[in-house]
Amino acid sequence: MERPIIRYEKIDFLGEGQFATVYKAKDIKTDKIVAVKKIKIGSRFEAQDGINRTALREIKLLQELQHINLIGLLDVFGQKSNVSLVFDFMDTDLEIIVKDNNIVLTPGNVKAYMIMTLKGLEYLHQNWILHRDLKPNNLLINREGILKIGDFGLAKAFGSPTRINTHQVVTRWYRSPELLFGARQYGTGVDMWAIGCILAELLLRVPFLPGESDLDQLSRIFQVFGTPTEEVWPGMKSLTDYVKFKHFPAQSLRHIFSAASDDLIDLLETLLALYPPRRCDCTQALLMPYFSNKPPPTVGPKLPMPSNIPKLESEKPSLKRKLLDNLDGGSLAKKLQF
Amino acid sequence: MAGNFWQSSHHQQWMLDKQDLIRDRQHDLSKLTEEEYQKIFNFFASIIQVLGEQLKLRQQVIATATVYFKRFYARNSLKCIDPLLLAPTCVFLASKVEEFGVISNSRLITTCQTVIKNKFSYAYGQQEFPYRTNHILECEFYLLENLDCCLIVFQPYRPLLLFVQDIGQDDQLSTYAWRVVNDSLRTDVSLLYPPYQIAIGALHIACVMLGKENLKPWFAELNVDMDKIQEIVRAIINLYEMWKNYDEKKEIQGLLAKMPKPCPAPQR
Repeated sequence: MERPIIRYEKIDFLGEGQFATVYKAKDIKTDKIVAVKKIKIGSRFEAQDGINRTALREIKLLQELQHINLIGLLDVFGQKSNVSLVFDFMDTDLEIIVKDNNIVLTPGNVKAYMIMTLKGLEYLHQNWILHRDLKPNNLLINREGILKIGDFGLAKAFGSPTRINTHQVVTRWYRSPELLFGARQYGTGVDMWAIGCILAELLLRVPFLPGESDLDQLSRIFQVFGTPTEEVWPGMKSLTDYVKFKHFPAQSLRHIFSAASDDLIDLLETLLALYPPRRCDCTQALLMPYFSNKPPPTVGPKLPMPSNIPKLESEKPSLKRKLLDNLDGGSLAKKLQF
Repeated sequence: MAGNFWQSSHHQQWMLDKQDLIRDRQHDLSKLTEEEYQKIFNFFASIIQVLGEQLKLRQQVIATATVYFKRFYARNSLKCIDPLLLAPTCVFLASKVEEFGVISNSRLITTCQTVIKNKFSYAYGQQEFPYRTNHILECEFYLLENLDCCLIVFQPYRPLLLFVQDIGQDDQLSTYAWRVVNDSLRTDVSLLYPPYQIAIGALHIACVMLGKENLKPWFAELNVDMDKIQEIVRAIINLYEMWKNYDEKKEIQGLLAKMPKPCPAPQR
């Protein structure tokens, strides 16, 4: 928190969100490239509340969490009534990759992204924290092909049986049906549903359920999975914002994701189960056949990058990598890989 | 937060060593005796407790605020920031960290003014609470910085309730031990020992006070370092001994006058 002006040299403007502006900067002390997230002060009225709550949430949680697939908080500094958080610099995110028409996502790529996301989220859930805002835009990727979950501004501890939570979380398209029905007590299922939507988006290359309102969101969900009955989802009707929907028959996911393998369809179905307790958790998901079946997940450095970001490989062509490449794609017989 | 204590910043960065603590307090202890130092902390812990109660905060939030306060002065002299400013700032930050709804800054200041006037006039006389919103906001930054951004504090309350459950629910015992844990906030134990040990120490004291001989086997079966528990017990008993012959109302003004203070004209 000391002399920020000296320590971080601004390089580039990266983006602006509701609560913060993000810059690419160089850490003079370590020569490392970092991302500086400057929290907006907001109105004078908000400034009275001191250090922004969203920022505090990120600080307090990230200070306790260390995992390769979670964004790392490197430093916090303040100027006047302004707080800035310093994070690992990430080159791109999954939203950019999904939208980039020049990028082909192979089944191996998709598997690699899913494994990294689920591992990061598994660690988070093991620490009793819900992310509550998973979407492609928050799955950050660096040029080494490592995916890290970012933006913990909505993250919160869960598990207290009496705690009432707000249901106004998660960007609508990734919001689970129980949240849309106004559930105040929920668990890891809200994150798992979002993961299911993200996986579907990786396959379709467009958002899977782009609802235009909360009701439209539910209606789109039911048009795919069928309107749930009390047998499918016990207790649904007692949720605060429950409304009766017209009966839609369930569609076959195989139909929508015609190119997906059976093991992948199985994963999607358990991630996107309407009744929250039937949804799998991260550990269960990672144990599903999809992750041990062929094709293997793509290794980090081979994952695609948007064309404007130089790939790591071309920067440092090492002999070892060349040998590995030859082994992989060359005429040599494939060896068993464990 | 119910994460993993052993991997937490609390365990990895904020379990301090008794010797280090004494060394870091050298400056203050050249002006105050150890007992005087403790009495001053006892006083400000009361301010935090009363402020918290007035603001209807849960004990968990009050305890976290108190630990922030102690952590700050574990590294800084009392002259760095006036404790009368740091105390409400700790309450302010803790209430946000513990996700306890919003306490508006103006309500905090008003509460400080009333509390100082009505409950602590024996210390401050006719003097009014001198700080305003902007002071708290600035102080919050220094606090966050000196805490190394470690905001999640594990408290002995949860382990205490688990132990009591294991013993077999006993409301008298749990109420008593809970109060001992509250009192422990006025000692250094929250800086030196993990919360589960403090909970056991508090239970031990409660059992002795309530004459619960029958629980001896329960303690005997615990797989903990009993020396540590004894140290905790001794620290809390020392506090009770100190209280016996201490009249805060008479002595505190003198102590506050003796306390190292910030330089009146900071160089800018």
